[in-house]
Amino acid sequence: MDEQGGAAVAAVRSRMRLRRSPSLLALATGVLGLIVVLCLLAPLIARHDPNEQDPADAFASASGAHWFGTDDLGRDLFSRVLYGGRLTLLIVAGSVLVAFLLGTLWGFVAAIRRGFLDELLMRTADVLMAIPQLLFALVCISAFGASMLNLALVIGVLLSPTTARMARAAALTEMNRDYYAAAIAYGARRRRLLLVELLPNTTGALAVQAAINAASAMILEASLSFIGLGIQPPDASWGTLLQQGYGFLYQNVGYAIFPALAILLTIWTLNVLADQLGARAGAQGA
Amino acid sequence: MGRYVIIRVATSILMLVATSAVIFVVLRALPGDPVLTRLGTTQGVTPETIQRLRAELGIDRSVLAQYGSWIGGVLHGDLGRSYFNDFEVSSLVGKRIGATLELTIVSVLLATVVAVPVAIAASLRPHGAVDRIVSALSSLGMAFPPFVAAIFLLVVFSVQLGWLPARGFVSLADDPAENVRHLVLPSIAIATVAAPLVVRYLRAALVDALAAPFVRTAEGKGVPRARVVLHHALRNALLPALTSVGLIFGYTLGGAVLVEYVFGIPGLGSLAVESALKRDYAVLQSVVLLLCALFILATLTVDLAARGLDPRLRAVHSDG
Repeated sequence: MDEQGGAAVAAVRSRMRLRRSPSLLALATGVLGLIVVLCLLAPLIARHDPNEQDPADAFASASGAHWFGTDDLGRDLFSRVLYGGRLTLLIVAGSVLVAFLLGTLWGFVAAIRRGFLDELLMRTADVLMAIPQLLFALVCISAFGASMLNLALVIGVLLSPTTARMARAAALTEMNRDYYAAAIAYGARRRRLLLVELLPNTTGALAVQAAINAASAMILEASLSFIGLGIQPPDASWGTLLQQGYGFLYQNVGYAIFPALAILLTIWTLNVLADQLGARAGAQGA
Repeated sequence: MGRYVIIRVATSILMLVATSAVIFVVLRALPGDPVLTRLGTTQGVTPETIQRLRAELGIDRSVLAQYGSWIGGVLHGDLGRSYFNDFEVSSLVGKRIGATLELTIVSVLLATVVAVPVAIAASLRPHGAVDRIVSALSSLGMAFPPFVAAIFLLVVFSVQLGWLPARGFVSLADDPAENVRHLVLPSIAIATVAAPLVVRYLRAALVDALAAPFVRTAEGKGVPRARVVLHHALRNALLPALTSVGLIFGYTLGGAVLVEYVFGIPGLGSLAVESALKRDYAVLQSVVLLLCALFILATLTVDLAARGLDPRLRAVHSDG
């Protein structure tokens, strides 16, 4: 699904020529940092154990004692959202790392080798991008099982074709510059060209792609967990919480709404970050 | 033009063949035997029975032979049988495709109808107040996973206000009024995400067009502002933006998978989810291939239409 979506978003982004706004960039970085810190420090912040049940207090609305209310077993939703964020963010970080390693290698090799290998690698990426990503993920997870590692690997692999396309485009731009020709003239080997010349000079574009990938990974993780193929109870990522809350919409609306808001806010922040990093990279490149 | 069409169609067919091979290989490479899954915990099954069931489904043959018979069948409109209940996949798909197509088309139309006037308003003063508000709202809209938008809509309009049904689907032929009532929330959920994409694409194209010399000429001649925007600029901006609709169609098809699941709509998306959960590869491979084919076909149609309508595309990329 979102490979196509990712392509659409990337295509739109490249045409938008958004105005740079350093304050917006700072705000997005700050909000994202805050979300990460809140989740990481969950044991210090949460006043309830996320798995502590209190059936007498089930479906409580948001209050001073339970900021987000409680779920069907009387568990504190604020704690569950904080702890859930740790799982979600860990999977997202793992996926982004896998997509970065695989996609950058894929794209750089295509850019450097050109010719037949380039065609082969890029046409493979095209084909993979035409398959609805969510369905692909669904099949893999239902077959391999839903562990954190599997989720990060499968999502990371699914994000790598778009990453490869972007990495190839960024590498080709750099390869047209004088310093690259100079490096070749000095007899630099392929490994040096990749790691010392290309990689450091494409970090701007790669950072934008990492933010886009993180947003896509959040959507995929949430989607899989929502269907029941992600993080399994009693552990709960934001997607798992959303699935559970979806079953009790008529008992406590907050049960679904707060995890949904957490997902939405994080993706929004990542999108703004990607836009602003892109505008900054564009301004530097021009 | 003729050469371009031939190359473009041939590429699409090659894409489809490659896609079908990838789907098939991935599904076969995965662990898990549909016969064992189907039998579940049934006691006293002899190895001979398992062998016979495997032969009936044709999964005892080589992967290449299975692929050949699948593709051969697909070309004749025979999509095979479900591993679980012996239903023909083509009849399962036939029952489900209507809801998905209707949902997708309504969502794309809704997104376009909302997006065009908004994009025009935003492009009149680039970086002005309206443009900033539109930009902020579209960035928020793009952040919604479609199924999360679906849950928000469900909470407000079904649970809190009780205006619209929360689940289910009624076909257009059975009861048009109920059909519309069941489609409102799902299509808004998808359009929430699709409309911002159209807005951003069209706005960028309009800003370019409004800055072009022909607009200055028109204004210099004393053409009224409204006519300059709608007739001169919009006409030139719509065609480049049309290419984005192909991509958005694909995005909408993908988004529909979970939106159908949330609203309990019996479409291809929910069929795919159900068969993936059951490991019913016979259904899954055909449904996924069909969704890919729809996406490739939409992109192809839009590309060819844009090229047919826009002489500039023919002039610039004459060799495709």
